[in-house]
Amino acid sequence: AQTTVDKASLLQYVKFQSRNFENILIWGGGPDSTPDTVYSVEYKRYGDKVWLAKAGCQRTTQKSCNLTMETGNLTELYYAKVTAVGPGRKQDLKETERFSSLQHTTIKPPDVTCIPKVRSIQMLIYPTLTPIRSENGHQLTLEEIFRDLFYRLELRVNHSYQTHLEGKQREYEFLGLTPDTEFLGAITILAPMWSKESTPYVCRVKTLPDRTW
Amino acid sequence: EFRFGPCRVEGVVLSELWEAFWAVKNTLQTQDNITSVQLLKPQVLQDVSDAESCYLVHSLLKFYLNTVFKNYHNKIAKVKILKSFSSLANNFIVIVSKLQPSKEKDMLSISERAHRRFLLFRRTFKQMGTEAALVKAVGEVDILLTWMQKFYQL
Repeated sequence: AQTTVDKASLLQYVKFQSRNFENILIWGGGPDSTPDTVYSVEYKRYGDKVWLAKAGCQRTTQKSCNLTMETGNLTELYYAKVTAVGPGRKQDLKETERFSSLQHTTIKPPDVTCIPKVRSIQMLIYPTLTPIRSENGHQLTLEEIFRDLFYRLELRVNHSYQTHLEGKQREYEFLGLTPDTEFLGAITILAPMWSKESTPYVCRVKTLPDRTW
Repeated sequence: EFRFGPCRVEGVVLSELWEAFWAVKNTLQTQDNITSVQLLKPQVLQDVSDAESCYLVHSLLKFYLNTVFKNYHNKIAKVKILKSFSSLANNFIVIVSKLQPSKEKDMLSISERAHRRFLLFRRTFKQMGTEAALVKAVGEVDILLTWMQKFYQL
């Protein structure tokens, strides 16, 4: 006998959340969803006919699923969909918009070390590795993916005085500073061709006292 | 500027094209519910040599202007889409007008290779119904821009 399925509102939205090419599928439960509602994820490349089930995200009560490895080709576009099944044969299904990690990913703040000296502050920026691999298996950094990527470093003493440096290199030093003074540093990653800008990494540092007197 | 092999195109700001497309991307792409077909598939745009690129971009942009945008234009009701659409079309016109693909004999095999890529794209387009093909082509402008971006020098 054929079992009939009741269309219900078990899903509110299904979308990708991407940060530094870490692509996580997230969804929200709808008004009819309950803690017993289970969710199953499928994905495919745009242009493919066949949907693939994502192992580890079948009949789960979780509301997110890591599809980073499955959506790791930068030149491809992808779709994902979630099927929700609730008590009493209730069912719902929602699909994402067309997803391109290059277009959609946001950039996290950089990893930075701020080193105070007597009359200067040095800032060392570390390369950001991504889950993306080149054809020979090399793990790519943000700099390798975005050719036009550069860093902007701002240093603020108080409301009136602020200075900034920018460039593609990873080592910077703000010179000519007053000893024994607190500064606020803010370091941002920018990739203008893709209109991307990270939120800043912030460091609060105090120059060392001048003991030469 | 764009450098498609020997062809140089100045005066086009790529981020403007992206902004124009992103403003209407979701509207355009949700109209395309045939997700199992891709017009600008990898075989069309992957591993295009510099020498081929001028021929291919010239053919693709002319097709977009003369077939896709021209016929899709009168389907646009919303002003917001029309503005973005015009911005894209105007920038494509500027690029095409500045492209001068070489007609030298020794470039024949290269131009033919590029032409085969273009024909693959056009064949897929023609295999679809006109309406669906127009919607799909417009929704794939981001694939085209992503490929063109490789030839963009800051």
